[in-house]
Amino acid sequence: MSVTAAPEATSTAPAPPSPPAPRPPVRPSRVPDWFGNPWGRPRWLKLTTWLYIAWSLLPVLAAVVFSFNDGRSRSVWQGFSTRWWWGDPNLSVFHDPIYTNALVHSLELAALDMLIATPLGFLLAIGLSRWRGRGSGSANFLMLVPLTTPELAMAVSLLLVFTQVSVLPFTAIALGTTAQVIGQVTFSVSYVVVIVRSRLASLGPEYEEAARDLGANARQSLQHVLLPLLLPALFASTLIVFALSIDDFVVTQYMSAGGETVTIPMLLYANARGAATTPALNAVATIMVLVTLIGVGGAYVVLRWFGHRSGEAQGDSAGQMGMDLTGME
Amino acid sequence: MTAAAGTAPAIGGDAGGEVELEALEKRFEDVVAVDSIDLDIAAGEFFSLLGPSGCGKTTTLRLIAGFERPTSGDVRLDGASLAAVPPDRRNVNTVFQNYALFPHLNVLDNVAFGMRYQKVGRKERDRRAREALELVELGDYAKRRPHQLSGGQQQRVALARALVLRPAVLLLDEPLGALDAKIRRALRIELKALQEEVGTTFIFVTHDQEEALSMSDRIAVMHDGGVDQVGTPREIYEGPATLFVADFLGVANVMEVEVIGRDGRGCRLRVGTRELWSECGDLGTTGAASAVVRPERLRVTPGAEAGENCLPGMIDRTIFVGSNLQVMVRLANGNLLQASVPNDGVDLDSHEQGSPVSVHVPPDALRVLAPGGVTPAG
Repeated sequence: MSVTAAPEATSTAPAPPSPPAPRPPVRPSRVPDWFGNPWGRPRWLKLTTWLYIAWSLLPVLAAVVFSFNDGRSRSVWQGFSTRWWWGDPNLSVFHDPIYTNALVHSLELAALDMLIATPLGFLLAIGLSRWRGRGSGSANFLMLVPLTTPELAMAVSLLLVFTQVSVLPFTAIALGTTAQVIGQVTFSVSYVVVIVRSRLASLGPEYEEAARDLGANARQSLQHVLLPLLLPALFASTLIVFALSIDDFVVTQYMSAGGETVTIPMLLYANARGAATTPALNAVATIMVLVTLIGVGGAYVVLRWFGHRSGEAQGDSAGQMGMDLTGME
Repeated sequence: MTAAAGTAPAIGGDAGGEVELEALEKRFEDVVAVDSIDLDIAAGEFFSLLGPSGCGKTTTLRLIAGFERPTSGDVRLDGASLAAVPPDRRNVNTVFQNYALFPHLNVLDNVAFGMRYQKVGRKERDRRAREALELVELGDYAKRRPHQLSGGQQQRVALARALVLRPAVLLLDEPLGALDAKIRRALRIELKALQEEVGTTFIFVTHDQEEALSMSDRIAVMHDGGVDQVGTPREIYEGPATLFVADFLGVANVMEVEVIGRDGRGCRLRVGTRELWSECGDLGTTGAASAVVRPERLRVTPGAEAGENCLPGMIDRTIFVGSNLQVMVRLANGNLLQASVPNDGVDLDSHEQGSPVSVHVPPDALRVLAPGGVTPAG
């Protein structure tokens, strides 16, 4: 019965007997034009965006400004000077050994991290992209875990492993620079792998196959084709690792051993609330901001240039890497 | 324009280039991509692998190139098995579908790329690369980057890059697929001329039947990982061995028929209430079968009078396509037949919708196909 009822219902529905009532051509809007008009200027977007930018940048700007304060205060403006940068022979950033040591140690760690994590991550990325079959899926997933693990959890675990486990590789690692580098490399590698693999995925297997087809063996195709094509990704990775290392506080702090291994972030953390702290601390913070900006900005510019040179569509290589870069900061 | 029927011509091929596929099979997990195919491709032949996407033609090409390893079976080049030979040591080169020109190298270095692994000196490399570029008429573009070239130019660079290595066999994976129709037609002729000039064996993968028909010495029509039919373009078009081949190449009218009798010349088929003579195909079959006929072989005459080997019908619809008129004729049993009437200025008005016509089916154009039977053509 229902089978016959259904077609009846549908056959009567599309045939209304009476002529349709005339509809007004334009439905009147109840909201004002400046809110409902889809072609209007994006006022709200502009306003909220600029508010956010001001909110996030003004404190940084204030810190930078106070590094040029003439007095010891970090909150009351007492005139412009460069004494906390280089003017004061004992207390300025470039003279006080507490600051210079921290600067040098930060750069040291960053350099070691870059030198170790980038090649390691590069090779790992290439290996993972070729691994097919059992285990490759879980390995690919687990590679991303360090990116999402709370850094504190990782730092505490590393500390426990390095100090409590008395099995050979761990007993050889003493807290201090070695442990700091190992800790930083441990989480930096994941970033390198992600960046290089995204580039590998966008390149596809064809270039390598073409190289093999034209007579290059596995090593030669890696060296003559894949490596040049991955150069932008490698460059970006290196700068990301640099920025990660310079910025890192948690792991570096936990792996440290004494005053020799204090980095800028550790110094900032220890002294931010200290009453005796001078605007030299603001100067050190400014240096960090600048160094990070130059690194990330440089990476973006070079990637754009690379992308332009090899004629890739904008937004592919440079844009994507730019997103990666900004996304990670 | 079709190549003359017969075996492969032996044009100039001094480098050999005879390829044999023997029970070649490739499985991915539990999907059979290439299902035990046997093919003999003669040296210097322009051989096409034709089929719809997913039929295994590209996998077959990749097995010959060495990018994939066969699950079983073997690929032989000039008699020697390639089973243990990696792609870089096979005397076989590939033109990729998207060309895969190296973006970090200029055109000249792209073309010269392969020669550095053949221990050719730098000067000699450059000279030969320039020569190859001249051959494809891109001599002035040596210093450009690949992305500064048009699609057709990139395709020619890819061709030069592969041919400069003087391979025994050139594999082409839908090399014209990414180009627009007009360039594609022009390159078709160029490619065929080039192949005849260099004499290298070309194995050409395409899903475009017109491309395969117009360039190939022989074609293998692939379907579901297997080869349905191998033959010259004419053999395959005019004598399809299976319904799939008939349907894939051009337009085919397929009729369900019943074989009701035969003599030495052909056999008698029942189509609805009418009877037709057929003189080609699986003439030995009995009972239910299919019969196919090409639209251009049907003759449509006005009037209900049906003569010898004719089917009466009514014009259902006519479609004007410029060079000819496609006439859809509804037969008495409800089937539609498509006939192609050349637009030679005569009588186009008489093919009006609803007018009764008689369709003549020439016995030599009506091909009987045994149900499910795959028999070699010819």
